[in-house]
Formats: sequence, structure tokens, C-alpha cells
Amino acid sequence: MSQFLQATLYGLLQGCMLGLVATGFSLVWGVMHVVNLSHGAFVLIGAYVALTLHQALGLDPFVGMLPAALVLFALGYGLQRGLVNLVINAPIFITLLLTFGLELLFVNALMVLFSADYRSIPTGYAERSLVLPLDVRLPIGRLIAALASVAITVGMGYLMRRTRTGLTILATGMDRGAARLMGISARHTYALTFGVAAALAGAAGAAVGAVSTFSPADAGRFTLFSFVAAVLGGLGNTSGALLGGLLLGLAESWGGQLLPGTLINAVAFGMLVLVLAIRPQGLVGKAYYASRVEV
Amino acid sequence: MKTSWCCTLSTLLALTASACGSKGDAGTRVADDKLVLGASLSATGALAREGALTREGYELCAEVINAKGGVPVGGKKLKVEVRFQDDTSKPDTAGQLVERFNDQGVKLILGPYGSATTEAAAAVVERNGQLMTDSAGADDKIFEKNYKRTFAVLSPATQYVTSMVLALHELAEPRPKRLAFISADDGFSKTATRAGIAKARALGFEVVGEEYVPSGTSDVSSALTKIKPEKPDVIFSSAHFVEAVAVVKQSHELGLDKVGFAETIAPPTADFVTSLGAAAEGVLGSTQWTDAMSGSDKWFGSAKDYAATFAAAHKGRPPAYHNAQATAACLALALAVEAAGTTDPTKVRDELAKLDAQTFFGPIKFNAQGMNVVKPMSVIQVQGGKPVAVWPKEAAAAKLKWPPRG
Repeated sequence: MSQFLQATLYGLLQGCMLGLVATGFSLVWGVMHVVNLSHGAFVLIGAYVALTLHQALGLDPFVGMLPAALVLFALGYGLQRGLVNLVINAPIFITLLLTFGLELLFVNALMVLFSADYRSIPTGYAERSLVLPLDVRLPIGRLIAALASVAITVGMGYLMRRTRTGLTILATGMDRGAARLMGISARHTYALTFGVAAALAGAAGAAVGAVSTFSPADAGRFTLFSFVAAVLGGLGNTSGALLGGLLLGLAESWGGQLLPGTLINAVAFGMLVLVLAIRPQGLVGKAYYASRVEV
Repeated sequence: MKTSWCCTLSTLLALTASACGSKGDAGTRVADDKLVLGASLSATGALAREGALTREGYELCAEVINAKGGVPVGGKKLKVEVRFQDDTSKPDTAGQLVERFNDQGVKLILGPYGSATTEAAAAVVERNGQLMTDSAGADDKIFEKNYKRTFAVLSPATQYVTSMVLALHELAEPRPKRLAFISADDGFSKTATRAGIAKARALGFEVVGEEYVPSGTSDVSSALTKIKPEKPDVIFSSAHFVEAVAVVKQSHELGLDKVGFAETIAPPTADFVTSLGAAAEGVLGSTQWTDAMSGSDKWFGSAKDYAATFAAAHKGRPPAYHNAQATAACLALALAVEAAGTTDPTKVRDELAKLDAQTFFGPIKFNAQGMNVVKPMSVIQVQGGKPVAVWPKEAAAAKLKWPPRG
């Protein structure tokens, strides 16, 4: 029983963090119809920003989530405005190619700047844990990361629906032509979306750095996690990505208890296939593309 | 608008191609006054870090030998030139690059980093009649194929966990009883784990857990959650850097902080201590080489001399064992070329098979499968934030601290 509870708790904590990693990816895919293969690289840039601030100023990595998000917002905004926007109307494989190329560039740039060594941001408290009944442990670092993830994701959901900017993003995602007729600048809105998504990735990267190890070679892994979590939850929906992340975390954790450890990835991807077969729009996604008008 | 699209896309494609590529120039034939060695290494991809360390070892070998005039071959002195290519950490690419070396007339090969890439390269080397000294492919599977043209200077995979079991058996007081094993699921790690488990049982330890995790994962919580109720005294992990760090970090998170840790290749690296901080203290690791190793050779001197030469060439940074094993592979090839008096791969191969040398890397002597079975592994323990050799006793720099956090 204790073992099962421990696995469940750990899966939930891990899932929250995966949710934050995936939220930006889901947003860009849902709103802009761009599968951003450089998303994993954004996560890592966030981790390296937090690491640099920690080394230079002794800044705690969880506090470092904010500057990491700001740096990534600027990078994301500029990148969309100056580059991705040029191919926004092109077939999806062109944007795939572009973001794949960007991922290679970023990963290799990180290798040149920081080397391929594995890093982590030691805090002194992140590995400690609270002791719950039945000797179940609640790791402090992961708890902070999970709470921050939930707060950011829920906050994002609120901002998207309650603020003018959020509604602008949603409107542009639903029907760009109509949004333009209402006076919305699609270019600016897309750049804003891309910037917000990159900022979320940056914040997630700082949290990942505090509880785990990272190196530039991990970019692909984070993109893959984001893809699975986003598709599981449903695209363009911040709570969907969080739900997808939680499901992925739990599946890996429970799967690891019931099956040999090497089959963990198979469990996660098996679940993805199952969800796609039964509910292709994801758990909380709407039949999105059917109502989308391409202009 | 359309023109600017095309410009941007073509620029990006060109950049992407340059990032993917680095497959090198079309080959020129090998010059007679040089000893040209081909090395397919991981400059990018998952093994980029270890690939860079291996490259440093090969480069140092060439620098030192060339500074002393070069390898004497049939009255001439040949300067060593190592040609590097990036295999992007992928076995298929490693095989293709060795094939390309062959097309360019490069017959003498220095091995890639890692067992999977080495295995792919070894098959090509055998088919083409090339010759390879393997610096970092330790999986016994490579040697079970009875290749005649691949020789590994490093101790085989079976020694990695076994050496730590032996160290605890001989030195740990009070003697631990219950051992648990976590292994990455790649061939090398599994071979090391299974040999370690067999040795532990033979020595009377109780094996209370055997878990396998996906290679390269940073989450081993499932394996630890399963092991925790068995109350192990020591957790052994045969894993790469990421999994090894995760085992220690997540054990602390899950309340397994009183156990001892014995991990294969990660603890000897400087990154291990940087990543884990105080949690790294007391962790055991196994290593192919420390600068306390006995033996010396005419090119590099003793292990201590090698460490000094390396540090001088790298702004005071001490060598990792990856550096040393790479240099040793290059050294073995140079010694065999000198003994053969030619660069003909078949004649050099025959000399390698007969080689029986004491070097800065320890003894090098190959069995019929091309494994260096005479070289012992060393066991280190992180003490005061630094890895120090604790086993075997004759090459120990400090006493084993046990219990590690007692």
C-alpha cells in the first residue's frame, strides 16, 4: 500500500512538471498550427539561464524561473516575428523543418557555450522530503516545482479567458481572418503567443534544473514529452496540457510498479495510441480543427 | 514576400545541413611519411561529452609522440595524424564513417566512444581488413563474435560491478549484507550487472533487488520504490551519468539516504560531485584508470607522469579515465606499428595480438577475443568532494570510509 501511494504521489509531482513543460507547446500548436520542434531547446535554455544566474548571483533556481521566463519571452517573441512568421502560411512540414533546424542550432549553441556536460542546480533543500504517514515521502523540490506548475498553468488559463490579450490570442487561433477584421494584429498576436509559450518553457526549464539533471542533448526528450502530454490532454488548452502531463506521470509511475522498468516508455506511448484511437481530440480538447477557418 | 521566404528557407536549410553534417571532406590518400589513424567519435548527440574526452585522449597521444619525433617505422619516424569524424553518437553512422575511412585508405582505426558504436564499427573493420584499437567499448558482446581485428585496451564490462562487490567484500567493516542492483537496459550495463550479481551471490551476499531502467532516463523512482521495502544496505547501479545521479538524488527524496551507493562510471567524473553536492560523499565508483595505477612506458612514463602531461596541456585540469583509455588505445596501436616495422594492417594486427606491455594505463595484453584481461579495474570513493582510489589495496590512495555516511 505504501509502495502504491508513494508511486502515485511521485507520479503526480512528476506529471505537474511535465504539464508545465508541455503547456507552451500545446498553446503554439493549438493557436498557430505550428508543431514547435525547438520547444525542448527552449526548456533547456531556461535551465541554463537559471544555472548561470545561480552561479553568478547565487539565485535560487525556483526564483530563477521568473528571469528565465523573461529571457525566453523576448527570444520567443523575436523569433516568431522575425522568422517563424515568414513561413506561417506554408504547409506544416515547412514549419516542422524550420523548428527542427532551430532546435539543432540552439542545441549546438548550448554545447559550445556550456559544453555537453550534465548539470544540475543544487539547492540544498530540493532533495529533502517531508515524511507522510506509512513512510511515504514528499520531496520538497518536486513539491515546489509541482505547485509552481499548477499555479502557472491555472493562472495562464484564467488570463487567456479573462483578459483582452488572452481573448485576442484565442480569437486569432480560432479564425485569423475574422480576428483581423476585428482589428487584431495577427502578427503581433502570434509573436505574443510564441513568446508566452517560450516563457513557460523557460520557467519549466529552471524548475527541471533544480530537481533533475540536464544537458543540451536532452532537448529532444523534452519535445517528445511535450508532444505526448499535449496530444493526451488536447491542443490549445492550458489545462489540457497539465492533465496530459499528470496522466503521463501517473502512467509511467504505475507502469513502473506493475511491469519491468524498461517497459515504462511503452506504457506511456501505448496510452497515447489508446487515447488517439478513442478520443482523437484529447481528453479535454474540442473538435478544434473542424471549426477552424484557414485564410 | 515569396523571395524572402525562399532566402530564409535556403539559409536555414544550409545551416541545418551544416549542423547535421560535419561528415568531413572527400578523402585524400594516406601519405607515406605519416601514421594516419581514423577516429569516428561522438562530437554531437547523447555521447558528445564522453566523445570530447576521448578526442582529447587521442589528441594528446599524437602530440606527445610527435613531440618525441614520431613512431620509428623501418628507418623512418612517422608523425601521428588522427582524422576525426562525428558519428553523432549513432552506431549506424559510426559504421559508415569507418567504411569511408577505408575508402580513403585509412586502415588503422581508433575506436568510437561507447559499446554500441564500437560494436557497429568492429563489424566494418573486420569486413574491410582494417584494424581497430577499442578505447571505450567494454561490452563483452563485442568480443563474443570472435573478431580478429578489434583489440580493447580497457577491462571488460564484467569487471565494472564485480570490482566494487569485491572491494566491499574485502574492505567494508561492518560488512553489508543486503545488496540491491539497478541497471540501465543497454547491453554494457546489463552485462556488468549480471556479472556483479553472480559475484555477490558467490561471496555470500544477499541480493534483495534487481531492477532495470530505460537507458538515459532521469527518473528511476519506480525502481527505487520497488527496492525500498527490501531495506538494502547498498544500492549498486550500473548506469550512465544521468541515471547514476538520479539514483542518488531520488534515493534521498524517497528516504533511502542511509544506504551506501556503488555506481559504475559516474562517480569518478568531476560533474558527479558538482551535480550532487554533499549527496555525492561516500559514493563508490569503478574506474578503468587512476593516477595511482602501476606501470610505465617510454612515451608517457608512469600514470602520474601522464596526469601531469595532460594537466599541462589542459590548463591544469586532471585527466578523466576516458582521456587515459583513449590515449592507451592510441599507444597500443603505436607500439604495434613500431614492432611490425610497417603500417600494413595485417602485420600490425599480428603484433597487437602478441603485445605484452606495461604502460601508464597498466598492463596491456590481449586474449584470443581481443580483450585486455590482465588489467585490473580500480574502485574509487568520493571523499571530501574528490574521487580517491580505495581498491585494490596496492593502488589505494586512501582507506575505504564505511559506513559511508556514518
